[in-house]
Amino acid sequence: MSTDTYIQRAFEDLQPIFGERVTVSPMHRMAYSRDWSPRHRSAQDLPDLVVIPHNTDEVVQLVQVALRYNLPVVPFAGGTGMGGGVAAWRGGIMVETKGLNQILELDLQNLSVTVGAGITIWTLNEHLARHNLWFPHQPESKRACTIGACIGCDNDSTFGIRYGKILENLTNLVLVTGRGEAIRLGRRKASFTSTGYKLMELVVGSEGTLGVVTEATLRVFPLPQTRQVRGYLLRSLNEGAKALERLLAAGLAIDSAHMNDRERLHFYTHSYREKYHREPQVPDWAQAILFISWAGDPDVVDFSMDKTTRILQEEYGAEMVREQEMVDGWWDSKHRLEFIPFKQKWPDSQRVKKFGAADLGLPIGRLDEAYARFREIAAKWHQDILGMTVYNEAPNKSTASISFAVFVDDSTEENIRNFYEYVREMSQMAVELEGTMSSYIGDGDRLGGFNILEHGPSLEYMRQVKALFDPAGIMNPGKKFETRWLR
Amino acid sequence: MTAQDALKPYIDDIYTCNRTRCGFCREECPVYRVEGYETYSCRGKMLVARGLLEGTLQPDEEMARMADECLLCGYCAARCALHNVEIITALRETLAEAGFRAPKHQANAAQILAEGYLFPRTSAIRREGTTPLYLGCLYQSKPAEVNTVLSVLEKAGFDPLIADEVCCGYVVEATGDSEGFARAQERFRQVYAPYADQEILTLCPTCTITLRDKYGLRVKPAIVAVAERLGDLRLEPVAMTATYHDPCHLGRMLGVFEEPRQIIRALGINLVEMEHNRTFSTCCGGGGGVTAVNPKLSAEIAKNRIRDALAVGAETVITVCPTCTPTLLRGAGRLANEVDKFVDVLDLWQLLDKALGA
Repeated sequence: MSTDTYIQRAFEDLQPIFGERVTVSPMHRMAYSRDWSPRHRSAQDLPDLVVIPHNTDEVVQLVQVALRYNLPVVPFAGGTGMGGGVAAWRGGIMVETKGLNQILELDLQNLSVTVGAGITIWTLNEHLARHNLWFPHQPESKRACTIGACIGCDNDSTFGIRYGKILENLTNLVLVTGRGEAIRLGRRKASFTSTGYKLMELVVGSEGTLGVVTEATLRVFPLPQTRQVRGYLLRSLNEGAKALERLLAAGLAIDSAHMNDRERLHFYTHSYREKYHREPQVPDWAQAILFISWAGDPDVVDFSMDKTTRILQEEYGAEMVREQEMVDGWWDSKHRLEFIPFKQKWPDSQRVKKFGAADLGLPIGRLDEAYARFREIAAKWHQDILGMTVYNEAPNKSTASISFAVFVDDSTEENIRNFYEYVREMSQMAVELEGTMSSYIGDGDRLGGFNILEHGPSLEYMRQVKALFDPAGIMNPGKKFETRWLR
Repeated sequence: MTAQDALKPYIDDIYTCNRTRCGFCREECPVYRVEGYETYSCRGKMLVARGLLEGTLQPDEEMARMADECLLCGYCAARCALHNVEIITALRETLAEAGFRAPKHQANAAQILAEGYLFPRTSAIRREGTTPLYLGCLYQSKPAEVNTVLSVLEKAGFDPLIADEVCCGYVVEATGDSEGFARAQERFRQVYAPYADQEILTLCPTCTITLRDKYGLRVKPAIVAVAERLGDLRLEPVAMTATYHDPCHLGRMLGVFEEPRQIIRALGINLVEMEHNRTFSTCCGGGGGVTAVNPKLSAEIAKNRIRDALAVGAETVITVCPTCTPTLLRGAGRLANEVDKFVDVLDLWQLLDKALGA
């Protein structure tokens, strides 16, 4: 039988279950044809079908249909990934997971919520706020990004330095595996376990290659009373990482900490100049800007802010940014997603060239070295540098999840190839510097296969894990173990 | 002219959205909330628009249905920085040019172009006076509601002049007939020429924005004019807990948020806000001609808006738009069958008239 026949038969099998929630229409398939990753402006990866399940049983049934006809199954969530994780590279069934958007249980006594994996972080937090609670894993795409996407991609979070990433706040999940079975993984509502193997942890960052996550149980927290944000100018990136560790050693509870290089700093000063028609006071020696926030009771926040400022000024010769409007503007647009209506920042920043990044995880003492090589590698592959941002993503320690961002001209295939050559060389550098090639985007259709460089023989064990969950190889095929871009 | 010509001025915006994919427009889009496919959100439509421009998608009836099911409410535009509403209107025009236009839309446009108004009416409403008041098609078909408005305006000291008027043409343009709209504009200009230099009071938010943006007229929503005289009015208090639904054109597009709220507070009503309010209020379900092509979808969207009101404990929804009031009322009625609770929907003019007494 031809593939077209399989697709038609799968559609016929799915229709009685899903009715209007399954389609082969070219128009709908087009709407699922790309994510936020750099590729030619006309690129498209069309799935063959799109299905919107509303519960775990329906996902089980659709995976069973996919198994019957050996069709790929690609879970689609926020669609804001930067690594092609949802690209239906081999066609197949696109699973629109945002139909799984129910709040299944809010357990106020245990500060736990169980949700359908398709709920967005934003919507979840709107619900939680009515109970004076919040869920602190918050990527910058939180308005569109779903809980399932956070689990699938293991993405970054504004508040990582205090609350960690999704794994620190996830206690249980339901996975429909490539075998067409729903299994419950994790530790119910407990925050840890010493029993069995940690299969739930395997799913975090698996990018839909083991199955479709349909439900998640999450730890939630009381909303802090207040939050303050400040910016500090530092003499080097390494110095910033060390200073942060010192602040934590002093016993300060920091809510978020993000450090930007000189290019990014100039980006913010430029925006400030444009908006306020004043020259910001930035000394020549400033090589980095460290943004820190504190949240909690007002007196504790005030004390923490003062203590932080004293340590940074007295021990590291740092200077607090005097233009607080610049700091507040950065926080509002990047982390609160508060924009002037009709003037959201993203579209205009992507009008000519597209944002792209190598997202390396590095040891904290090698930031300046990485910064210098970033500039060389970007120049070699004709990439227009946007800058380097160091995100802190693990609780109570200075860490370095780094976005080495560039602007990509997506008008020619050659430019796109150059961008991925840049990613390849940056990835090699990450391994040389004793780090990892990706800290928040994931393999997607970029690093798979190429990541033998990082994982060596353990990649074979990973293949066997994949085969255990997905023996027919239908779950998001091509991802994790193959690459379209890096050679 | 090729079918895609209407989209060409927006090529840059369309590619910008395709390469950005931030999705900030998606989650609260009222149509996407009901339909569930990304295609119904603005960023989905932008991919479809690119497909049409590049020839990888061909216009068809299903695509026209999708485009016709947009409320043109501008929520996506407020979350973005592109010409979202204009692009979706151009998408409708592209599909209409290719021969895919909803018969209902075609009939409505034909009615406007032939008769000068959208809804059948027994006779044109007129009033001698000094301050021009443009009623628009909806109010022209509702004499009882017009009497209520006139009663309020008179008690507030206005002397409204209701002259001969014809349709502003919004429906013709919004449903993809730019050529027909040019004709509607010409007729409107001829009929309404005597008042082109005066400030015109308006009732329908959609007409208001059309008169302002497409004709360059000096307009003021009549409810704003009343709010300006609020201090001079003696109002009987109204005991209720209510929420205010911002009509898309009055709020998000004309920026009138506070004046209706000032009136509601002056009436002594306990005003509670829905989660999505002011600039980011969500549509009632009556925008963009959706009621004409898919009344079931319109009712589902209205039900969702009433659910928003229920979520904040409101027993009444107050609004001030001739489209929002009946649409929300339909939603409230249908939702009552499901949740066993009826949320009343009241027009602000009606409340004001009662509070102003005889």
